Amino acid sequence: MAIDKITFRRILKWGFINFFRNGVVSVATVLVISLSIFMIGGVIVGSSFVSAVISSLEEKIDISAVFQDTADEQAILFLKAELEKLPEVSSVKYTSAEEALAIFRERHKDDPVVLESLKILEENPLFSSLEIKAKNPSQYESISKFLESGRYDNILGVDANGQKKITYRQNQFIIDKLSFILSTSRKIGFSVSLILALIALMVAYSTVRLAIYNSKDEISVMQLVGASRAFIRGPFLVEGVMHGVIATVFTSAALYPAFWLIGRKTSALFGEFNIFEYFISNIFQIFFILLFSGVLLGTLSAYIAIKRYLKV
Amino acid sequence: MIYFDKVSKIYSPTSIALEDVSFNIAPNEFVSIVGQSGAGKSTLLKLLLAEDRPTSGKVFFESNDVHAIPKHELPALRRRIGAVFQDYRLLPHKTAYENIAFALEAAGKEEEDIKSDVPQVLELVGLVDKAWHFPHELSGGEKQRVAIARAIVSRPDVVIADEPTGNLDPLNTWDIIHLLEKINDLGTTVMLATHDKEIINSLKRRVVTLEKGRVVRDEQRGRYVL
Ligand SMILES: Nc1ncnc2c1ncn2[C@@H]1O[C@H](COP(=O)(O)OP(=O)(O)OP(=O)(O)O)[C@@H](O)[C@H]1O
Ligand SMILES: [Mg+2]
Repeated sequence: MAIDKITFRRILKWGFINFFRNGVVSVATVLVISLSIFMIGGVIVGSSFVSAVISSLEEKIDISAVFQDTADEQAILFLKAELEKLPEVSSVKYTSAEEALAIFRERHKDDPVVLESLKILEENPLFSSLEIKAKNPSQYESISKFLESGRYDNILGVDANGQKKITYRQNQFIIDKLSFILSTSRKIGFSVSLILALIALMVAYSTVRLAIYNSKDEISVMQLVGASRAFIRGPFLVEGVMHGVIATVFTSAALYPAFWLIGRKTSALFGEFNIFEYFISNIFQIFFILLFSGVLLGTLSAYIAIKRYLKV
Repeated sequence: MIYFDKVSKIYSPTSIALEDVSFNIAPNEFVSIVGQSGAGKSTLLKLLLAEDRPTSGKVFFESNDVHAIPKHELPALRRRIGAVFQDYRLLPHKTAYENIAFALEAAGKEEEDIKSDVPQVLELVGLVDKAWHFPHELSGGEKQRVAIARAIVSRPDVVIADEPTGNLDPLNTWDIIHLLEKINDLGTTVMLATHDKEIINSLKRRVVTLEKGRVVRDEQRGRYVL
């Protein structure tokens, strides 16, 4: 329904006035919406933080295959191309023996003993290798099987025990366990956030509905006096926006010390990752997510709740 | 202008509010609806405002069947009818002034018109000094006068007043009745529901008498007979 300028101004005016006149009810509604978006904000920051930690852990997982010193570079590059064709593989990085040596030198450039012993060796003691990353941690197993299929035995290096130098086998237990933990924590995290968000939504809606239920006689009087639905509904929606905006300010102010505290308590657990720093560096996105969900919660609840009473 | 066509309103078998009520109100008429408590006066007015639907029969406002009007067009109809309810129905979180102004705001009137019209009707009902009181800060009679002011401020085509003097002292009662007569003289149709014998007898206007939901008398210069 089209609303002219004068009606729009009146709707704004009454939204503001009603917000202040409703005193206790407004405060209660703001608090409940704050609590809801606090939960939503906490869940979003928490789960995206955990997800960032998980991703960086996943980044650290890889398989490396070390080759014999006699292995032909062409053959290794051929294997690299074959691996890249596999659907599970996201990237393959080739490091030649010379590059490996250069990296090694660089890393130990302040260690004269190591450099000296390299000189004595004369020959390059390092081997060429491929570093393979899978798209998904659970796929390392099949990549490793591919490498061990026997076709590449002629170039793959072998250790003193006759085992092929594929790191996956050596770290198999940790990788499998890690990939299981990662995938389950993603699933659990997602369902928990979903349930929390749903509960938050329902609580906020019920509060707004109760507040509007108290105004149901008023709403019917307005209708009998000839007010249009838009003119009756408008101020409630303006109030909803105000509830959302104020709740966002509240919540942002409350999340700050909350994450600071959590960050301090969990810094030992996550090591280099700190949830507080994560929160600070994403503060604008978080603020807008909160603002969006707060305002949406406030207005949508009001819109749905008032629909029931606009029936006279 | 207003036509009740064989209207019945049956809430339940034990409460039949209106039964086969038919009558016609011409433009600019002043009609009193009288009857004992529970006779169906309020129900009749309620049906005209489309606050409730009749069980059977039709209510016409001009040529429109009130209960066939689409929902979004009802506000426009209601703005042509100024209603004083038996229980006042003021907006509790708005002051006397704002309650009256609300009728004009809802109709989309200009701000200057509101600023000049509202004080005028406040003056008319003698509530200038209580303009900024909320309903809970007003006496029953004062609330009733605010309700009357709200009903007439937008200069509606019809004013329906349900027991508008029930809580007023004799002096105020006559002020309000004279006010209704005056706006009727200026061209507004008035429907007045009351059981105040003195008012009816001194008005010497048309009286429709209801008894247990039925029209038992309809006289042009009626008297209060029960
Ligand atoms: N919502 C309702 N549900 C059931 N019965 C109702 C309802 N409203 C009114 N009634 C019944 O309808 C009848 C007429 O009521 P109405 O309010 O029209 O009377 P009235 O003439 O206005 O009386 P009064 O002079 O006391 O105001 C009464 O018997 C009442 O009990
Ligand atoms: Mg009544």
